[in-house]
Amino acid sequence: MGASLQEVKRRISSTKKTEQITGAMQMVSTAKLSQIQRHATGYQAYAEKIRSVITHLAKSHLLDSGVASSSAASNHADGDQINGLEMLVKRPVKTTGIIVVTSDRGLVGSYNSNVIKQTLDLITNGNHSTDDIVIIAIGGTGADFFKKRGFNVAYEYRGVSDIPKFRETHELVKRIITMYSEEIYDELYVCYNHFVNSMTSEFRAEPMLPISAMNIGSEGLGEESASGFTAEYEMEPSEDAILEVVLPQYAESLIYGSILDAKTAEHASSSTAMKSATDNAKDIISSLELQYNRARQSAITTEITEITGAQAALD
Amino acid sequence: MAEEKLLTVNVVTPDGSVYDEKTPMAVFKTTVGELGILPEHIPLLASLEIDEVRVKVPGTEDKFDEIAVNGGFVEFSNNIATVVANSAERKENIDLARAERARKRAQERLEKARQEQNIDKQRRAEISLRRALNRLNISKH
Repeated sequence: MGASLQEVKRRISSTKKTEQITGAMQMVSTAKLSQIQRHATGYQAYAEKIRSVITHLAKSHLLDSGVASSSAASNHADGDQINGLEMLVKRPVKTTGIIVVTSDRGLVGSYNSNVIKQTLDLITNGNHSTDDIVIIAIGGTGADFFKKRGFNVAYEYRGVSDIPKFRETHELVKRIITMYSEEIYDELYVCYNHFVNSMTSEFRAEPMLPISAMNIGSEGLGEESASGFTAEYEMEPSEDAILEVVLPQYAESLIYGSILDAKTAEHASSSTAMKSATDNAKDIISSLELQYNRARQSAITTEITEITGAQAALD
Repeated sequence: MAEEKLLTVNVVTPDGSVYDEKTPMAVFKTTVGELGILPEHIPLLASLEIDEVRVKVPGTEDKFDEIAVNGGFVEFSNNIATVVANSAERKENIDLARAERARKRAQERLEKARQEQNIDKQRRAEISLRRALNRLNISKH
C-alpha cells in the first residue's frame, strides 16, 4: 500500500508541474495574441487604403483586359523585373502554386492538421496531382509534411517571428512574386487559417494571383461608390505607371496579410490548446488527489484494525 | 488673420500608421518630379520616389516634418493625403547606426554584383543603397 501511495504522490506532483508549464504557455500565447491583434489593426488601415485605390484603378483594366494584356506584353520585353500589369493577365494554367501557412512548432491544437488536411482536400478536389502543384511552405510543419509526400516544395520559410514585421517577410514575398513572373506557376492560392475569434479559426483558400475581379472582390467594386472613391483622380505620371507600382504592392500586402492572419490564428489556437491542457491537468490532479486520500484512509483503517486486532489478542 | 486651411497627411505602412498630422502644405517627390499639395487639391494619385516627404508644421514659416518614404504612392482625396508605402520612418525615428550598416551592406552587395555582372542583383543592391542613403540624408540635415 505504501508504494502505491508514494506513486500517486509522485504523479500528482508531476502533473502539477505540467500544469504550471501549460498555464504559463497559455498566458504567453494570450499576451502574444493581444499584441498581434494590435499590430493587425495598423495593417488593416494600410490594406484598406491600398485596396480602395486598386479597386478604383483596376476597374477599367479588368473590364477591358485586352488592354492590360497587350500593354503587359510590351512591358515584358524590356526587362525581367517584376511587372505589375503582368499580374492582371490570366495565363493558361499548367501548374498551380499553393502557399501553405503552418506553424513551426507544435502544441497548437488542431491548427496544423486542419490546414494540411484541407489543403490536401483542395488538391484532390481540383484533380491535381503532385506534378502540377508547386508548394510554398511557410512554417516547418507544412514543409516537412509536403516534402515527405513527394510534393514539389519550391520554397520553404521557417522562423516567422511571433509578431511578423513587414520587413522580414519582404524577401519571401518578393520571391513568391518573382516565381510567378518566371512562370513557375500560373496561378497562386494561399491556404491558411483565418482568425475568427480566440476560440475559432476557419480554413481559407484564397486565389491570390493573377489579380482578378474575384479576389479584389465584386463587393469591392460595389462599395466604391459608397466610400466616396468615385472621384476621378489626376494621375501622375500615368495610370499604367501607377498600376505598376500599386499592383506589386497590393500582392505583397495580400501575402503579408495572410501570414499575419495565420499567425494570429496560431496564437489563438495555441492559447486555447494550452487552456484545455491546463484544465485537463486540473481534472487529473483532483482525481489523483481523491485516489491518494482514499489510499491514505484505507492504510489508516488497516493499521487501526491491526492494532485493535493485536490488542484483542493480548487481552 | 483668416484661419489657415489645412489638409491631413497620413502615412500608412503594413506595420501601422507612421504619421498623422494636419498641415497647410505637403511636398512629395514623385517619379516625375517634386509635387506640392495644398488644401483642397483635386483628387490625385502619384507614385513616389525613394525620398523624403516634407510636411509643413502649421503656424510656422519654414518648419517641416520630414519622413523618409520607401517608394509607394500617394493618394489625395477629401482633403486627406494618404501615403501608402512598404516602409516609412520619421526623421526623429531613424536609427543612424542601422542605416549606416545598411548602406555598407548594400555597397558591398553592389560591388559583388558588378563583379559577377549580375544585372538583377545589381539593381536590387542599388535600390537598397538608395533606401539607406535616403535615410542617412534625411537624418543628417
